[in-house]
Amino acid sequence: MDYTISSIAPIVLLPFFAFAINAFIVKRFTKLAVFISCAAILGSFGFAYNIFCDFMTVYSADYHIHKTFNWFNLSHGNLNFKVDMGIYIDNMSAVMLLMVTGAASLIHIFSTYYMKEDVRYGRFFVYLSLFTSAMLGLVLSDNLLSVFIFWELMGFCSYSLIGFYYEKEGAGNASIKAFMTTRVGDVFFLFGILAIWSIVGNVTFVDIYKTIAAGGFDGAMALGIPLATVAAFSIFMGTVGKSAQVPLQVWLPDAMWGPTPCSALIHAATMVAAGVYLSLRCYPLMEVGNLTTAIAYIGGITAFGAATIALVQTDIKAVLAYSTISQLGYMVLGVGVGSYNAAFMHLITHAVFKACLFLSAGSVIHSLHDHHTHGHVQEMPRMGGLRKKMPYTFIAMLLCTFAIAGVPLFSGFVSKDRILGDALLAAGYSKSFIIPAALGFGGALLTAFYMFRMMFLTFFGEPRDKELYDHTKEEKISWNRNVPLLILAVFTLGVFYSGSLTGQKIVKVFPKDSIEWFKTLIVEPKVEKFQNYQSEPFAWTDTRNKTRFERTKYDPTYGLPQEEYDHVHHVHLIGAGMSVLIVILGVGMAAMMYLLRLWNPGWWVNTFARFYRALQNKYYFDDMYVKGLIKKGLLPLNNLLAAIDMGIYDRYAIDGWQYVVRKIYLVSKWFDNIMVDTVAVDGTGASVRLMNIVLRTLQSGRVQFYFIIIIFLLTFSSYIFNQNF
Amino acid sequence: MFENILFFISSFLVLGGATMVVLSKNLMHACIFLLFTLFGVAGLYLTLGADFLAAAQLVVYAGGVVILMLFGIMLTGGTENKENRFGIEKIPGMGSVKTYIVAGVSILFIATVVLKIIANYMRHYQQTDLPEYMTTVERIGHSLLTDHILAFEISSILLLGALIGAAMIARPRKS
Amino acid sequence: MVTLGSYLFLSFALFVAGLAVIIARKNIIAMLLGIELMLNAAALNFVAYTRFVNSNIDGHIMALFIIVIAAAEAAVGLAIVIRFFQLRESIHIDDAAQLQN
Repeated sequence: MDYTISSIAPIVLLPFFAFAINAFIVKRFTKLAVFISCAAILGSFGFAYNIFCDFMTVYSADYHIHKTFNWFNLSHGNLNFKVDMGIYIDNMSAVMLLMVTGAASLIHIFSTYYMKEDVRYGRFFVYLSLFTSAMLGLVLSDNLLSVFIFWELMGFCSYSLIGFYYEKEGAGNASIKAFMTTRVGDVFFLFGILAIWSIVGNVTFVDIYKTIAAGGFDGAMALGIPLATVAAFSIFMGTVGKSAQVPLQVWLPDAMWGPTPCSALIHAATMVAAGVYLSLRCYPLMEVGNLTTAIAYIGGITAFGAATIALVQTDIKAVLAYSTISQLGYMVLGVGVGSYNAAFMHLITHAVFKACLFLSAGSVIHSLHDHHTHGHVQEMPRMGGLRKKMPYTFIAMLLCTFAIAGVPLFSGFVSKDRILGDALLAAGYSKSFIIPAALGFGGALLTAFYMFRMMFLTFFGEPRDKELYDHTKEEKISWNRNVPLLILAVFTLGVFYSGSLTGQKIVKVFPKDSIEWFKTLIVEPKVEKFQNYQSEPFAWTDTRNKTRFERTKYDPTYGLPQEEYDHVHHVHLIGAGMSVLIVILGVGMAAMMYLLRLWNPGWWVNTFARFYRALQNKYYFDDMYVKGLIKKGLLPLNNLLAAIDMGIYDRYAIDGWQYVVRKIYLVSKWFDNIMVDTVAVDGTGASVRLMNIVLRTLQSGRVQFYFIIIIFLLTFSSYIFNQNF
Repeated sequence: MFENILFFISSFLVLGGATMVVLSKNLMHACIFLLFTLFGVAGLYLTLGADFLAAAQLVVYAGGVVILMLFGIMLTGGTENKENRFGIEKIPGMGSVKTYIVAGVSILFIATVVLKIIANYMRHYQQTDLPEYMTTVERIGHSLLTDHILAFEISSILLLGALIGAAMIARPRKS
Repeated sequence: MVTLGSYLFLSFALFVAGLAVIIARKNIIAMLLGIELMLNAAALNFVAYTRFVNSNIDGHIMALFIIVIAAAEAAVGLAIVIRFFQLRESIHIDDAAQLQN
């Protein structure tokens, strides 16, 4: 397929134009604006699907589209300093595009149901369009700078959507909190871009790969730290902020103040995944920077810690929020243990099932209307037995819960199991990976537990709030409420991502050569491939070489020797077995506690009261930030800075400057008075006056005086010049 | 012989008149003594054979300038020492001791030089035979209208201008 | 014996007398008298040189012009004096020391 700009750019531009148009017409023509937004994202999905099909047809790991143009070039001499903008689509981008446009389309459609009665129905779609276009732009970007631009644009949209119900104080605070917390990571990200720029001279991914392959990062130091580590750490801090990893995870639970569809789109499916996507794009940099172990630790801690907090949450969206953090932790763990492919696969599968979970939760919340407070109910203790009232939502949510808990045959099992298997493998190679691997498995257990706890509390048992239950309407299947849920639920099946359950050849559903398409096509960028790479110029017409790509054959051994492959396979099988056991254990515990009521949860709460309180308080992260960091750290720092500003800067720099200026003024005044005025000006005057006295005496107007002078001069001159003497 | 007697009389008039012009305390007397001096100069002209000049000297000076001076003196207040309305002496003193001392010093200074020049000149001067006395009127008239016609015409314009200018300047006007 | 020297001495004496009048007197008309004396001294010199040194008539011509100028000077000078007296009611030379305004 030939690519011109007109077949790629609409992916970004359609939602953006929808935003631009809707921003003006949304007040008067709300329905038209909503229609434009939905049509735009569906059109965008069509273009993305087109590209995806092309990539699947070519079926080559090396196939990509890269078009650049020089934005500005400040290079001269040896100094390479320029910015290239452009589009880079490889298999990863193609899959990502399809996922983002697909999920966004379904969420748009669901939003027409969920936000129907909202006063700012149209404005929500304006934000959604802008956000979607920013996310797609980020996916298409070929360089860190445009990634950063879209990254910040998404941050703004996130801020606007979290604070969508700005009448509520909590929503406003949460939006500020999200914005400021991610800003910490963004500052690091920008710093990382500059660090990379200082070495590479450009910020395109391809140039970074080329520089790494050429050894450009070797030996570059900054303050005694390898510059590659600095750059990798800074970029990863961007991921930490955006993907809500420890210690910057605090914003994501509060982001649930936003409308549920926006939570589904932004804080579950796409934006938080952008951080992981960035880490994957910069994966060679992370390796060069020797940062993988730290990444694995952060991922493991996040995965486990967020899962423990999710155990005690009673708000259905909060549970999902913490599960999102936990799953993002798995992705980061995957990046850390070198499981590139599995991390990206988990990104995709998680986006699908988490979007579905959030939409289902939205469906539940929207149905539960409290007639006393005229608000929607999100608390699980007031739910229960809802599966009879809303069976389709129940089915969709159950499938997604199977997926996230890692029940075999579902997508979550495939991707998460592969990450855990790789973590196990890494732990076998290096002892430092034992703890992340253990945290990963522990998190898997907790995930199964808390997800099924949520399911049991919501849909099973007897309704705990009878009045609420009675007021809830029977669910009728509708195109904009249930269809998106069910479509997403279907895609939680593992067969769409892998032909086998453990990632290896056990169950084969599809024909042989496309069975492991995900594993075949999504390959870690080998920097050696980019050594002699030349990007294509950006042009309206397609000028690139029609290179014939060999269809990549599925190689289950990853090019490893057979013995090693057997070892890997063996470890993965062990991991898969452990996962299955863990899922059974977790679901069993949840069932014992909440379905069969054999164990009293209160006993656990009382026994581990201290731990329970810690979980309730989210490990005191917020308190720590507010009381510790902000009150003890930032506020004194602020006061100190203010004192420095007032006391030193103002007093000594500004006032000191004034003092200096005053001194200079005195000197210059003295100089002016003495030297200029007295000597120069008055001196001139005085000399003129002196001459005046002399000349006035001469020119007195006294004729006789003139006469004497004339006579004397004449006599004198005649005495001198007379030659007769 | 006659010219010698005339010379001595004339020189006596010149020296005496000039001395009295310098020393006289009365302006009117000074003017009369000037007249004597001018008569003496006219006598000297005669001894030098300048008959026309002597006549012109008498006519112009005695008949014109001195009369003009006397008119001027009379118009400006006569001889009486009076003060005008501004408290200024109308006819100031003819000089003070200070001014005469200054004048004497100046004369001494100039005399040392000029007399030395004259003495030096006269030391190298050799007396030749003096020409015969003869009338100069024809020669002067001839010379004025041939060689010095331009200066003659210019002097006539000068006199006309002086006449008109004097009349213009001295014209009383309201202010 | 009347020689050139005696005329030159007389001329010198006249000139000195005129000079003394101009310097010593404070009266403008008296100063005009002094100027007349000096002019006569100059004219006498011209005529004396004509008589004793060269025999042409030019010295006489020059003396004649001196007389003309003296006449004109006397006329204009006296007119100025009278005008000055009309303005200041004074003919003191130091009252005429104002050069401007």
